[in-house]
Amino acid sequence: MRKITFSEATREAMAEEMEKYPEVFVMGEDLARQGGIFGQFKGLPDEFPGRVIDTPISETFIVGGGVGAALGGARPVVDMHFADFIGVCMDEVLNQMAKIRYMFGGQAKIPLVLRAPDGLAGGGAAQHSQSVESFFIHIPGIKVVAPSNPYDAKMVLKAAIECDDPVLYFENKVLYKETGEVPEKEDEVPYEIGKARVEREGKDVTIVSYSIGMKNARAAADQLAKDGIQAEVIDLITLSPWDKETVLNSVKKTHRLCLVSECVKQGGAMAEVAATVAEEALEYLDAPILRYGAPFTPIPFAPTLEKLYRVYPDDLVKGIKGVL
Amino acid sequence: MPEVTKEQARKFYETMCTIRCFEESVKKDFLNGEIPGFVHLYIGEEAIATGVCAALRKTDFVESTHRGHGHCIAKGADVNKMMAEIFGKIDGLCKGKGGSMHVADFSVGMLGANGVVGGGYNLATGAALASKMVLKNDNVSVVFFGDGASNRGTFHEAANVAAAWKLPVVFVNEMNCWASTTPYRTTTAVENISDRAHGYNMPGVIVDGQNVFEVYAAACEAVERARRGEGPTFIEAKTYRIEGHFVGDPEKYRKKEETMQIFHDTDPLTHFLGILPEGIEFTQAELDEILAAARAKVAAAKEYAVGCEYPDESEFYKDVYVD
Amino acid sequence: MATEVLMPKLGLTMTEGTIDEWKKNVGDTVKKGEILFSVETDKLTNDVEAEADGVLLKILVPAGETVACKTLIGWLGAEGEAVPDGAGAAPAAAAEAPAAPAAAVSAAAAPAAAGTAHAAGAYVPATPYAKKLAKEKGFDLAAIPATGYKGVVVARDVLGFTPAAAAPAAPAVKASPLAEKVAADLGIDLKDVKAAHGRVLAEDLLRYIAETREKAPDSEATAEREEVKPMSGMRKAIAKNMQNSHMTSPTVTFNLGIDMTEMKRYREQLKAKEIKVSYTDLLVKFVSKALTEFPLLNCSVEDNKIIYKHYVNMGVAVALDNGLVVPNITDADKKSLTEISAEVKELAKQAREGKLPPEKLRGGTFTITNLGMYGIESFSPIINQPEVAILGVNTMEDKVVVRNGEMCIRPIMNLSLTADHRVVDGSVAAQFLQRVKSLMENPALILA
Repeated sequence: MRKITFSEATREAMAEEMEKYPEVFVMGEDLARQGGIFGQFKGLPDEFPGRVIDTPISETFIVGGGVGAALGGARPVVDMHFADFIGVCMDEVLNQMAKIRYMFGGQAKIPLVLRAPDGLAGGGAAQHSQSVESFFIHIPGIKVVAPSNPYDAKMVLKAAIECDDPVLYFENKVLYKETGEVPEKEDEVPYEIGKARVEREGKDVTIVSYSIGMKNARAAADQLAKDGIQAEVIDLITLSPWDKETVLNSVKKTHRLCLVSECVKQGGAMAEVAATVAEEALEYLDAPILRYGAPFTPIPFAPTLEKLYRVYPDDLVKGIKGVL
Repeated sequence: MPEVTKEQARKFYETMCTIRCFEESVKKDFLNGEIPGFVHLYIGEEAIATGVCAALRKTDFVESTHRGHGHCIAKGADVNKMMAEIFGKIDGLCKGKGGSMHVADFSVGMLGANGVVGGGYNLATGAALASKMVLKNDNVSVVFFGDGASNRGTFHEAANVAAAWKLPVVFVNEMNCWASTTPYRTTTAVENISDRAHGYNMPGVIVDGQNVFEVYAAACEAVERARRGEGPTFIEAKTYRIEGHFVGDPEKYRKKEETMQIFHDTDPLTHFLGILPEGIEFTQAELDEILAAARAKVAAAKEYAVGCEYPDESEFYKDVYVD
Repeated sequence: MATEVLMPKLGLTMTEGTIDEWKKNVGDTVKKGEILFSVETDKLTNDVEAEADGVLLKILVPAGETVACKTLIGWLGAEGEAVPDGAGAAPAAAAEAPAAPAAAVSAAAAPAAAGTAHAAGAYVPATPYAKKLAKEKGFDLAAIPATGYKGVVVARDVLGFTPAAAAPAAPAVKASPLAEKVAADLGIDLKDVKAAHGRVLAEDLLRYIAETREKAPDSEATAEREEVKPMSGMRKAIAKNMQNSHMTSPTVTFNLGIDMTEMKRYREQLKAKEIKVSYTDLLVKFVSKALTEFPLLNCSVEDNKIIYKHYVNMGVAVALDNGLVVPNITDADKKSLTEISAEVKELAKQAREGKLPPEKLRGGTFTITNLGMYGIESFSPIINQPEVAILGVNTMEDKVVVRNGEMCIRPIMNLSLTADHRVVDGSVAAQFLQRVKSLMENPALILA
């Protein structure tokens, strides 16, 4: 099978959706002239003249304008440059795109995708490295996705663009350059938003993650396998509304749960998974729930400190072995 | 100035009367405890919504504010369903899920009141972008906002983009002198809000917001300019907030007599006869009849709203998402 | 709606009372005003009338036990009615009340196995899944040795647990706790046993055992492959004593590991001074000392009376080729280690030669039995009646333990104390064992 990068996979998704739906357009900072700061929009401006729009540095317009364009009948994809900057336009996310359908009694659809490159990229420090998805799983009315590999990157983005609800699409900056198998268009299997995937079966412990956290999950599972411990690895893919059933079924089988993400652990997306398992499947747990995430500090700049901010597969392996 | 027929003038007066009667009715019912939440009234500012919306097509868009009943009525929303919404009933425009501050009627291009002050600029500008740059139709978007809202950063982001890309947007500032309890002069650097239009290289015009004909004329020009692809216009309509910020506002920040004097001097209904364009004439009896009809229409709307049911539990989880 | 039966407060000064006798069995119909039970206070015995009509649904405090006034001691209600949730738990006012016998019976089922054993009545840390499994299987969590993180009972502990004498969690047949335990031990289904008086009592079981033996088919084919021999006198005595003990005492066994480092050192020091003593000798000395501080472990029970002994006659079980005998060292608490050592040697010698004077086999107050030489790690010895406790000594083995946050190797010896729960509550037994442990881990204390 052909192998392409995560970045190229998102570009393909954009191109295919723009081809299919004339009402799809994309706007954000630095997209058209340079193809996006991570190359994820490369070539699109030539393929679709006038539909890849460079905006001023006006985040409330990028997102609020996207919402308005959706209300006006378009299918916008808006780009946040760095996920950290969603802070600038929180009202447009929290009070506008998430609320309009419900508070107007279902009169409106907001088929908008907000793309947000996130994560530690090495020296990005406090304002260009965050994983902010956890803020948004707290908001009813928007969907939150965060794929972990090129194939999912493509299929999840296509599903997000075709979705009639607002979708926040978190794409990890480190994953952009990673390659992976992506089938030809005719062999693609569409992704259904809200579904998790059991990526690897096992009986001893369930490891749940998403996005870049899946690298830790997979590496830990490999290491555990060497010691005869079979980890089941679940990629959530959609963080809201998330696939409770797949996780609960797995925990009922393995009786142990290990959660990992790159975002700040306190109040993080994985806390919701932990709480749900404790609420709905406590009697199946044979060990405390393990949860790995970033410490409760802003992201430091110095490499020595940034290193401490990260989670490593060894952390998971050690923790899991401690409760077996 | 565009020609106005007597029929159009009658329509203007009728719309203003409907808004006035609607607001008076809502005020009474709110004070009686029949309406939940809180309401912000448009009394005294009726000429602005009426004049602007008269210049629009049904397919044009309006982004409204928390003080939005007038915009909704002027854009052509069904008054019964609107009243039912304000009462929180299932037959309301938003199935009782929005209420006064979140009333919308997409079927007439009224894209919603907005509970966040200054939340509408980007939505209107985005809708205009969709019309011009994506869907290539000639729909125009209007955003209403007060002098208080003009201090939000969102205004500047939207105004810049609208002007830079010549989007079909009309910024309608209802300069009613009060941002909640704060007089605009104490918080705003410019004498006229429309002075800000020049910073974005768009025309800024000032009109008498109590004169529906003047407002209509300015709106027609701005809307046509937008439709021609020449970009946005800023209309500053000078008016005055007659009611408190919300129903029940003790209004300790100003003198009631002063407000009533201004209302007496500028009420767009009582002064209607005096501002009629040349060649159009109405008798007071004609106007009284129109007002009575509006009052009856609103009374019927209230009766309709009271008769509707509240949404039941089955509505609760509906419309959080499309699928 | 079930009605609570409470320990009454019979007079101003009464703070606690002892159930003298339940006049009704569980399942019996009771009329309001009928005598339900009698209570013994420090002054006299009072009959207590039922306060409502109904059926005696549950007895929480059996005859002979003492509880604080207002403690819930049973439930009256309609036939078949369920007892309210939490009815088995003692109310706060009776927090120090003795654990219910039912708990003690199941706790006695603790098998000999590695892992943390839990004291009866204490909260047992267990994972939710382990709890679910234990509930499904009818196991008492306290009986299950824990091997999980932080000493928590985890699922594999429950799945791998074989109850040595687990009573059925919810017997469909009404039976006395003792009858339940014996039936479980012998693998008898209580449903097969006919009760003479409402519920199955131990005597019904004995009758059943005798009857079924008579009825057992005497197959010739089987007879050819088996051999029948009469019991020796000693065997008969042992059998009678053991059965009697088993029927008399509801027992609980407590296991505790002792770090023998200091004990070994102490023994070496003595050796250096030409004083040669065995670990048994040392145990006799140290346990005797502890017994003087815990009179309840050094008593006997007779007809609802407790006889405290102000002396320690320490029995030492001696295994013989054809059985065992338990001679005792009189006044062991007052003897020196050298004296004890000499006497133990002499008694063992006499026992093996069959020359033990009969008085040495009578009057014991406590027994030590040592199976350590066989590598046994834990067991539940049977009490030598009329004593109320027996200490099983296990093998001493080097084990990895954590001291001051570091792993190190220490000689560990488990002690298995079986105690009669009629008089020895779990906490008392546990404290006694703790005392033995602290003495043995700090031998200098023996002089204190």
